[in-house]
Amino acid sequence: MNGSNRLAGLKARPKDTTVEEVRRVDEVGEARGFLDRTPHKKAGRKPSPRTYQLHPKVFPRVGEAIATEAERLGITQGQLIERMWDVYNGSTDTLTTGF
Amino acid sequence: MPVIVMASPKGGVGKSTCAVLLASEFARMGAEVTVLDCDPNKSLTRWASHGTPSRVTLKSDIGRSEIVPTIRAADGDGRIVIVDLEGVASQLVSRAISQADLVIVPMQPTALDAEIGSEALALVREEEEALGRSIRHAVVLTKTSAAVKSRVQKELEQQLSGAGIDMIEPSLVARAAFSELFAYGGDLTAMMNDPDMTTGGKVDKALENAQSFTEAVYERLK
Repeated sequence: MNGSNRLAGLKARPKDTTVEEVRRVDEVGEARGFLDRTPHKKAGRKPSPRTYQLHPKVFPRVGEAIATEAERLGITQGQLIERMWDVYNGSTDTLTTGF
Repeated sequence: MPVIVMASPKGGVGKSTCAVLLASEFARMGAEVTVLDCDPNKSLTRWASHGTPSRVTLKSDIGRSEIVPTIRAADGDGRIVIVDLEGVASQLVSRAISQADLVIVPMQPTALDAEIGSEALALVREEEEALGRSIRHAVVLTKTSAAVKSRVQKELEQQLSGAGIDMIEPSLVARAAFSELFAYGGDLTAMMNDPDMTTGGKVDKALENAQSFTEAVYERLK
């Protein structure tokens, strides 16, 4: 078996596959148990990179104020503390908190 | 150029071996061949990691969403496309079949392989009906005995032929060289010419078998 001239005679039928045809193929396959087995990504929220746990005890009025302010800003209490830390450090860039 | 799809929902029947043999032999004939490795076991990627024959290009990690456009892109480049599928019943398989010029269903001569492999044959026929066009398909028996044809194999051949199934002759004999291709990469010709590659089997017989098999596939694509 030799020569690309032989290969020139190989035939391929037109394959103008439309979205509709793919849908029909999927249906036929599913009916016979050929299902979509693509591994799906894990559902739910990604784990937070904020893994360090603080254990501060503060006066109730301060704690309530921090909680209220975080809620008003739509961020977590941890994120608010990070902002406070930036201000405390005199830093105005967003390197620490990502904001 | 034609698209050849290896399909069987059963694993371990010889889909990847068939794909490697066809890719190597068609490349040796002068064809540019693209091989699509759609099997999560990545058998072909492992084979290619040791080196592919010239004129063979491998594409890996092709999923359900990519299979149709990938086949069409490779086909459009004037290449023979050989698709090695996963050994499960999936939409990836049904979509690949819809793009085939020839579907090859490898099966070992056992009742279990025949039963599970027949699911692929039935799917091809149903897709033909749904798409209103014929999809050529054929069975090749794999890992057969070089010495004798077993009673089970004879019966299976009779049953399949009786059901109007196209049987590719010759079958692929159980040869150490076929398995060793995945360890050494390349093709059987390189294996035969390299004294460092030891298979413990008859490489010349394996090559002869692979060439006859490819010739039989070629005849179905004319």
